[in-house]
Amino acid sequence: MDKSLLSVGLDVGTTTTQLIVSRLQVKNRASSFAVPEMTITQRQICYRSPVHMTPLLGQTLVDGQGIRTLVEQEYEKAGITRQQVDTGAVIITGETSRKENAAAVLSALSDYAGEFVVATAGPDLESALAARGAGAVQYSKDTGKAVLHMDIGGGTSNLALIEKGRIVATGCLNVGGRLLKITPTGKLVYVSPVLFPLTDLRPGDYPAQGQVEAIARILTHGLEMAAGLRPATELLGKLLTREAGGWEIPKDTPVLSFSGGVADCIEGKLPAGSFGDIGPELGQAIKQSLLCAGDYRLGTETIRATVIGAGCHSTQLSGSTVFCRDVDLPVKNLPVAVFTPEEQESGELPQLIQKRLQMQDSPRVVLALPGYPAPSYGQVSRLAQKLLQGIGDREIFVCLEGDMAKALGQSLCLLPGGDRPCLCIDRVHLEEGCYLDVGEPVGPALPVVVKTLILSEGRI
Amino acid sequence: MNKKELSAMVAELLQSMQAEPAVKGSDYKPRDPGPQPVQRDHQPGDFVPDVTQLDLRKLYLVENPAQKDKYLALKERTPARLGMGRAGPRYKTLTMLRFRADHAAAQDAVFSQLPEDFGEKNGLIPVKTRCKDKDEYLTRPDMGRCFDEENQKKIRQGVTGQPKVQLVIGDGLSSAAIATNAMDCAQAIRDGLKLKGIELGQGIFVRYCRVGAGDAVGDVTGCELVCVLVGERPGLVTDKSMSCYLTYKPHTGVSESSRTVVSNIHAQGTPAVEAGAHIASLIETILKKKVSGVGLHLEGSV
Repeated sequence: MDKSLLSVGLDVGTTTTQLIVSRLQVKNRASSFAVPEMTITQRQICYRSPVHMTPLLGQTLVDGQGIRTLVEQEYEKAGITRQQVDTGAVIITGETSRKENAAAVLSALSDYAGEFVVATAGPDLESALAARGAGAVQYSKDTGKAVLHMDIGGGTSNLALIEKGRIVATGCLNVGGRLLKITPTGKLVYVSPVLFPLTDLRPGDYPAQGQVEAIARILTHGLEMAAGLRPATELLGKLLTREAGGWEIPKDTPVLSFSGGVADCIEGKLPAGSFGDIGPELGQAIKQSLLCAGDYRLGTETIRATVIGAGCHSTQLSGSTVFCRDVDLPVKNLPVAVFTPEEQESGELPQLIQKRLQMQDSPRVVLALPGYPAPSYGQVSRLAQKLLQGIGDREIFVCLEGDMAKALGQSLCLLPGGDRPCLCIDRVHLEEGCYLDVGEPVGPALPVVVKTLILSEGRI
Repeated sequence: MNKKELSAMVAELLQSMQAEPAVKGSDYKPRDPGPQPVQRDHQPGDFVPDVTQLDLRKLYLVENPAQKDKYLALKERTPARLGMGRAGPRYKTLTMLRFRADHAAAQDAVFSQLPEDFGEKNGLIPVKTRCKDKDEYLTRPDMGRCFDEENQKKIRQGVTGQPKVQLVIGDGLSSAAIATNAMDCAQAIRDGLKLKGIELGQGIFVRYCRVGAGDAVGDVTGCELVCVLVGERPGLVTDKSMSCYLTYKPHTGVSESSRTVVSNIHAQGTPAVEAGAHIASLIETILKKKVSGVGLHLEGSV
């Protein structure tokens, strides 16, 4: 029953665009005398593209056609065809993840969309992918230490706090190497609006000696505050991006971990102006800051962390006993409504479900419930009745944490009025506000991608 | 030294053990106070705490561990008795008590009986194999696989027509496993088959049942497939683990390799209802492929 999935990761960032191809080995870990348990046992990278500059039309608008050409060329170099690709993720990150950019890339890659499960990603997913791709999650799992991973790219720094190998919080700061762009003659050609409250420098200016370093130091202070190494001031609030929401400063100092293009400038001292931006200055400011005074590590991947995360770590597998009836897979961009254990037990569950379904525009909504770890038949059928009452005459999409999806699916379909499309999966953890893609089956399990945003709105 | 002197000495010793460390005038603050004396606030006549209620996966008894959290994270993945510490070269009292309690539970599961009315209460046809009691059941596996004339008659009368799938629930080596899981699992199997258009008739409950009793049921009923839910030999991890054996065209003497088995059905393994739903799918596959056991694996269907 062993299978493999060919997965492509494409990261369209503020500065760079990269593609990787990887093979995910799926194996049945259970003995042949037990219920199967499919797991991804190996993630092997078969091809890494060079780091391309993101094709842009103007300062921030992504050239969709350019991306398409790039993808076509890289597929050819990797020796793969579109038809071979099973899954993957396109991540449009940093300052480029604006709606019109996402739309441009999506329409240019529209005939590839069948294979790519994720369209675009928000900062939460991006942080999680970078932390996985840089090996920070594995490091925390192996050592048992708390790790704060920072993926410092062109436009933003994605933060992920990891405890015992689990990502417990994500955040995003407007700290990056390309918030200023400088010509070889020292003339500013771009100042990100993010920096307006922090500096008087404007495009066309020639920054004086030390002015760029000063900005790099201020940005570094923001990172220190986020890590709890420096008392937080209003600077932190100004640097936090709107989409990522708040950021809770960790109480105990975690091990710091770095990836992203700027991470390469922390250890290797690159001359200022190497990339026409402030990446080298920012790297050195970080090296000299409190961030590197304690326990820190550089990611096993730096500039490629996010794309490797996207290619290798965006897909997970559901439990191996799931229920799917009359639903054409793959299904994409299903919004999720999460219910707490108390809500699940409440007699009002059907009304709660109705209310939450009315709030969603989409006719297809995934109801995410904790379920039960080892339910009785009575518990399963009672839950099925309450669910169907709440769902009304819509299609049924249910995701549980406890191992009971197949039994629940059966129960739902046998209820009067339950004879309709129904998908029940389990062993997947969903959070409010995320979206779910479910791919075609791999053996008895279903590949699943959980993403935080479909299109992030009006991000500047 | 008489008995009175001895007990006074023990009392004194215990007293001194509970006292603060005898380091005066310094700010001695041990980081880990070590094992604390057990709070004995219960009254005579109270029950002692039930050691079997402790979750072994969360129990870590090593003193002054370097990485307790990490060890506990590993322990989450196994029911093995790891990180139990030691008292000199021996087990700690708690470990020893728990081990013996689990061992006793395993023995009880084998020797205890399901209630007299288990079959009737759950709508099953109650029969028993040729064994006259548990002792004979344990010592004569051959007799746990066949029925006398009277019980064969009961089956013949209870089962109407020639069923496609016949459900058999047998105590096997763990009555506890059947009491806990069998009916939940059976109902999920019934649901699953119903969705696939396969009607499951009345089930049979077999006392003193070996897996092979299903073959004898096949002889009597002429069913196309027999599904036997039977208590597994209990171990120290759980005394409530159940297995399911599916045999296509069952008859006495059928080869063991023709059985498809789903084992480890219990709360910490595969939950009974989910296993039932899975078994229903397996039954559908077996009926379609007309083969069970190793043959089914060779077909690549499992």
